Amino acid sequence: MSAPLLKIEDLHVGFRGAGGAVEAVRGVDFSIASGEIVGIVGESGSGKSLSMLAVMRLLGATARATGGRVIFDGEDLLAASETRMREIRGRDIAMVFQDPQSSLNPALTIGRQVTDVVRAHRRMSIGEARRIAIEALERVGISGASRRLDAYPHEFSGGMRQRALIAMAIACRPRLLIADEPTTALDVTVQAQIVDLIAELRRDLGLAVIFISHNLQLVAEIVDRVVVMYGGKVVEDGPAVDIDCAARHPYTRLLKACVPSLQGPLGPLVAIDGAPPRLGRMPPGCPFAPRCPQVADICRHEMPALVRDGARRVACWRPQ
Amino acid sequence: MSSPLLALRGVSKSYPQGSLVDRLFGGASNFVALDDVTLEIARGDVVGIVGESGSGKSTLASLAVGLARPTAGEILLDGESLAGLMRDHAGPWRRRIQMVFQDSSSALNPRKTIARCLAETLALRGVPRATREDDAIALLALVGLGAEMAPRLPHELSGGQRQRVGLARALAMKPDILIADEPVSSLDVSLQAQVINLLSRLTRELGLTLLFISHDLAVVRTLCTRIIVMRQGRIVEEGPCLDVLARPAHPYTQLLISSVPKGIAGRRAPAAVVSATSSVG
Amino acid sequence: MKRLAQLARSADWTGWLGAAIVVVMIGAAISASWVAPYDPVAISIEHRLSAPGAEHWLGTDQAGRDVLSRIIHGARASLAVGIGAVIIGALLGVSAGLFAAYKGGLGDQITMRIVDGIASIPLLVWAIAIVGVLGVGPVSIGSLQLPNEVKIVTLVGCLFSPVFARVTYAVAKRIVGADYVKARYLQGASHWQIVIGEVLPNCLSPIIVQATLLVAIGIVIEASISFVGLGVQPPQASWGTMLSDARNALYSGEWWLPVFPGLAISVTVIGFNLLGDAVRDLFDPRSEARTLVA
Repeated sequence: MSAPLLKIEDLHVGFRGAGGAVEAVRGVDFSIASGEIVGIVGESGSGKSLSMLAVMRLLGATARATGGRVIFDGEDLLAASETRMREIRGRDIAMVFQDPQSSLNPALTIGRQVTDVVRAHRRMSIGEARRIAIEALERVGISGASRRLDAYPHEFSGGMRQRALIAMAIACRPRLLIADEPTTALDVTVQAQIVDLIAELRRDLGLAVIFISHNLQLVAEIVDRVVVMYGGKVVEDGPAVDIDCAARHPYTRLLKACVPSLQGPLGPLVAIDGAPPRLGRMPPGCPFAPRCPQVADICRHEMPALVRDGARRVACWRPQ
Repeated sequence: MSSPLLALRGVSKSYPQGSLVDRLFGGASNFVALDDVTLEIARGDVVGIVGESGSGKSTLASLAVGLARPTAGEILLDGESLAGLMRDHAGPWRRRIQMVFQDSSSALNPRKTIARCLAETLALRGVPRATREDDAIALLALVGLGAEMAPRLPHELSGGQRQRVGLARALAMKPDILIADEPVSSLDVSLQAQVINLLSRLTRELGLTLLFISHDLAVVRTLCTRIIVMRQGRIVEEGPCLDVLARPAHPYTQLLISSVPKGIAGRRAPAAVVSATSSVG
Repeated sequence: MKRLAQLARSADWTGWLGAAIVVVMIGAAISASWVAPYDPVAISIEHRLSAPGAEHWLGTDQAGRDVLSRIIHGARASLAVGIGAVIIGALLGVSAGLFAAYKGGLGDQITMRIVDGIASIPLLVWAIAIVGVLGVGPVSIGSLQLPNEVKIVTLVGCLFSPVFARVTYAVAKRIVGADYVKARYLQGASHWQIVIGEVLPNCLSPIIVQATLLVAIGIVIEASISFVGLGVQPPQASWGTMLSDARNALYSGEWWLPVFPGLAISVTVIGFNLLGDAVRDLFDPRSEARTLVA
């Protein structure tokens, strides 16, 4: 068995606040193999996006990785220099964000933005870079790419912009693509196309993909494995089939049950009481305990460990 | 035979595009947001309007409540022309049609406590000062919130709680028809179900007529008895909700249905073989 | 009261310093007749140009008048013009901004173009020119005699109004589009109720910040106008006239004559600016939530 491509160990991320640091990611561990596609599922405040920004070292001024290691291909990214990170970002690990509108510079052509990324990492002529850009745009399904190179972002629809951003991400042939809610801002029909595209790129290019989403049903359509996060921790992790059909953590089960489906019986939906914990007001034990229908006394005081069982892991005192 | 509670007759809405100079010299084109829409909503109907961005569903909502005027066509509220009613901005017809908004963070005035927000609404309906506080608490209870919410400011509430207050505010006017524009799409998934169940319960218990605007077919299926599918400003299909979803006639409806994420069941490519070793943590 | 308690908890020392300066200055202006150690216009030839010392803390001027007393009395003219102009400017400008933002369409366009027109006037030059043309005498309306400063206050107020109009318009335009304003409209609330109850309170914090900054500018304008002899008339004291009188002192070594009125202007301006920053932080209803994340 080969070493995983990316291995996150006990990652902590905190915000500096007036009343001391507030921890938003509280010891996340998981890994992803080359060519694997993993979905991270969680609601707002679960720490899913923040963990990935920490991996990319893009946390900004207010948040900081306060502990743990992020090993990419044998190298600890949290300890790497900023110069080294600039080499890695875009070339080895690429990221696609939620809002295609604000991720593109409205004043530059699509072609210029893709070639800039390519030329930032490899010395080559403009002609060569344009050739690679056209190839990447065609790869993501933008037809007539050589003509579209001179178009500005506002001439593209939302779905086309997201395709262009994915083209920018894959232009340098990275080994890992992190897609942070890449379809949330898009229409349902476009969402289906983008999800298909990501699955296809992964198959054809041998890309490893981390797909962040709040939608378990969406993620389960394409990923090999699902990591479920809640309150800054991984609560369950396992093959997509198992997580979708036979989840062991009550949160994962409810997360599936509370989303209405097009089949299923009619009648009231299964609702989860209360709201996700707020930053800085994490309950002492299991973060889901205040909302859990199967809560026991111990859940309120002590956080259960993430226990391995075959290919799966679950952090619950009373798993099902 | 009574007239429908809300009726749209050949309603269109277009917005001028281009700069002021273009508009003055007739060089501008019009963007047609709503194109010749006709529909009727009877008392007690729970109707879902489904469409993607640009389908005109939100334009339809703002025309129906009287936030904007149609460029062509007529809107009738219980048989009376809305254009005529709107001449009296603060007329008694206003309370009959109320709206719940999409964005929970902008739906409530950030400077007003929940109690004040509801009390001011009740005052406009003519509820005497003495009973406003009790009525406000009763409204909060109706939407499943405790009296302890009353003195709080909006930012102290979660998104789901704010949406409930928005609903309570609309209900405070005792409306005949409620228009909800994507009321759950800004909420976390675990909170959506709470609000959908609440809306479902209220339509049954209060006999409320509801026009529910959404991009989510599954949510509409749970809540609505009738469905209207819109695309590019036009109605492409309408009918009883379950029938349309089971046997969609229009190709666009079929595309929408096939685009809904279905989890493992929706896998298009053969699932990759997952080895247990690849997931060592 | 709740706001005051919040201020005590949240404001940092700079806000307190600003508030203290403003309170001291306003206090001095109001109670000038009691706190000033000497009569500000009393001439005393034998004490002329005495350096700061035990008897005259800040020295005396060419006519032997006590500098400290003149600064304290001068605060009246300075603050009256600064605060008065801001009140007039805010009344005009905020109403115009709210009207344009809420009305929209043609009313919006016309109002804001008028505002642009007024704003294109070079503020200080016009104030000086108009007072120069009108003359420096008192204004009489019927039997009512108003001092010369009224002209300056009204004029500077008019010139401040575009600043208020633009700040108000920018914020109000956004607030008018918010769902809670639409909700209130749909309830059939009157336009007055919507503008005063929903829109204005949410525009207040940038308006107040702007007001404190403009008080400072108003003080400087008053000093400038008095400096060129068109404002407060001798022998009455004002910070501007004191600086004007002190021009020659710079060469003959009586440093206290220009330094202390200059300091009074600077300190007051800084005080209002610090207060403005603190008020802005205070008026954000989400300030507690923000400190948690920031």
